[in-house]
Amino acid sequence: MNENGLKSGSNLEKVLVAGHFAFTGECGPPKGANVEHLKEKYEHLRGMVDSVNITDNQTAVVRMSSVAASAIMVGDGIEPNYQMVCRDRNRLAMMADILGAYSLGIKNMLCLSGDHQHFGNHPQSKNVYDIDSIQLIAMTKLMRDEGKFPNGEDVDVPPKMFIGAASNPFGDPYEFRVHRLANKIDAGTDFIQTQCIYNMPRFREFMKMAVDMGLTEKCYILAGVTPMKSARMAKYMAKFVPGMDVPEELITRLEGAGKGKQAAEGIKFAVEQIEEFKEMEGVAGVHLMAIEWEHKVPEIAEMAKVLPRPTFD
Amino acid sequence: MIVADRKPLEEILEMIKDYEKVLLVGCKGCVTVCNVGGRKEVEVLGAALRIARKKEGRPITLDETTIERQCDPEYLEQIRDIHDQYDGILSMACGVGPQFLSEAYPNQKFYPTINTKFMGGATEHGVWEERCAGCGTCLIHKYDGLCPIARCSKSIMHGPCGGSAKGQCEVSDDIECIWDTIVRKKMEQGRLEDLRIIRENKDWRTARDGGPRKSIREELKK
Amino acid sequence: MSEQFEPQIVAYCCKYCAYAAGDLAGSMRLNYPSNVKVVQVPCSGRVDIIHMMKALEEGADGIYVAG
Repeated sequence: MNENGLKSGSNLEKVLVAGHFAFTGECGPPKGANVEHLKEKYEHLRGMVDSVNITDNQTAVVRMSSVAASAIMVGDGIEPNYQMVCRDRNRLAMMADILGAYSLGIKNMLCLSGDHQHFGNHPQSKNVYDIDSIQLIAMTKLMRDEGKFPNGEDVDVPPKMFIGAASNPFGDPYEFRVHRLANKIDAGTDFIQTQCIYNMPRFREFMKMAVDMGLTEKCYILAGVTPMKSARMAKYMAKFVPGMDVPEELITRLEGAGKGKQAAEGIKFAVEQIEEFKEMEGVAGVHLMAIEWEHKVPEIAEMAKVLPRPTFD
Repeated sequence: MIVADRKPLEEILEMIKDYEKVLLVGCKGCVTVCNVGGRKEVEVLGAALRIARKKEGRPITLDETTIERQCDPEYLEQIRDIHDQYDGILSMACGVGPQFLSEAYPNQKFYPTINTKFMGGATEHGVWEERCAGCGTCLIHKYDGLCPIARCSKSIMHGPCGGSAKGQCEVSDDIECIWDTIVRKKMEQGRLEDLRIIRENKDWRTARDGGPRKSIREELKK
Repeated sequence: MSEQFEPQIVAYCCKYCAYAAGDLAGSMRLNYPSNVKVVQVPCSGRVDIIHMMKALEEGADGIYVAG
């Protein structure tokens, strides 16, 4: 721990430690070296969120590296949450990137398995999976807290990362999901950002289990929210996105909103969700994944009454 | 056993397009059991190649033989007397066959007619599934007799990942999520605590990642 | 082309039914085309891909399996 009692001193960590309801955003790097496009996307999030997730070749589609995009954001005064997947790099590259990311001023990191490359635009790739997401959490913690590499050698200046992980409360087998969350906490994750939530009853149940098991005492859980742009998007996600649980009622509700009003209805549902998460026991914040809809974040943040965001000197 | 698929006829024809006299060598090992490179498959491929070449107006002399195993030098001797009578030799064994043959007969050219896929077994007649990745450090006992290294698309040691749905892998509905099966089995047996262990990073040196492998049994060496 | 194409057909016939029927047809003095060559097999289940391949390789244009 740092002298101030914080593990990383990141803005996100300060928000959570101070007991504020966290609000994080997400930004996918461009499919190219288009820095201007990246800036345009994350500028919508400035002042609206505590930290911005920078995805790592999301859905296995090649993009600007998440470490580079995160570093650009650091330079621009927006705090990134640097995502790292296990699909594309072995433990050497992972450690090197963790050290590199920290050297570039990145203080939050999200450890993920990653979508299989089968989904992406280079399905011919070799998949790496040298270690899995839980082992990545443990390795990052080891480097940060013990100042050691997995081989026992010392790390010369440990990377003080605020370590995050994902959790899918809706994947199968449902009963086991909370135990896998517990594994991630045992491995050393400081915070969790969940998969997009649409099935609220099931999520309530999941959170109750997490609270009962004492997991919310050990780690901050941020509920994942992705506003639906249309009923078509909802149907697509229900059908094609792995591990996604989109109830039929939501699709019906969006369809019922009528033409031209489905996006507004989608945002309305997201805002209702955020309002409920604020009150839900064990939920420490919301992670808003407005996919290719970054410009809507200010509106959603406003409607959800999560502004202004806390600041620290 | 080693499971393989035959290459498309066109690809094999392309390999031997300049040849007039070819030998096709089958193998009575694994590829016979998985119905891809045994005596019968040799006959079928041989006939298909001869018919195709006849159709092209360039008939070929294609002889057939099937030996005990192509992965044992002593059986390769079965073609010593005839190997140099051909323009090229097609092997109908796994990837080991053409290599052992090339090593035994350095002056001859050998071509694979099958694509070697995995170590597995038949789950029903005509269906074979992968079971072993040959990682060199078996840990099946930790997962109730089911191997996540070979059978999880991501080889993860703490599954299932977020992409598991209804017992199927995110990669394809045709792939069983082995982690779903492992977890269900543990839950049924009331031994979920077995899956609450954070496992050490796998040492891949015993797998192919450590370089080509050798197995030496001193007591058997001459 | 003045000559009409006449395919050569190899008929694999089961000893107990199709071949027996062929025999019966013969004793009834019924004709069948001369371009059909009949091969008796102990059972049509015995006919394998390789039998068809061999026939095709030797010049057959088509195969019957009757049983």
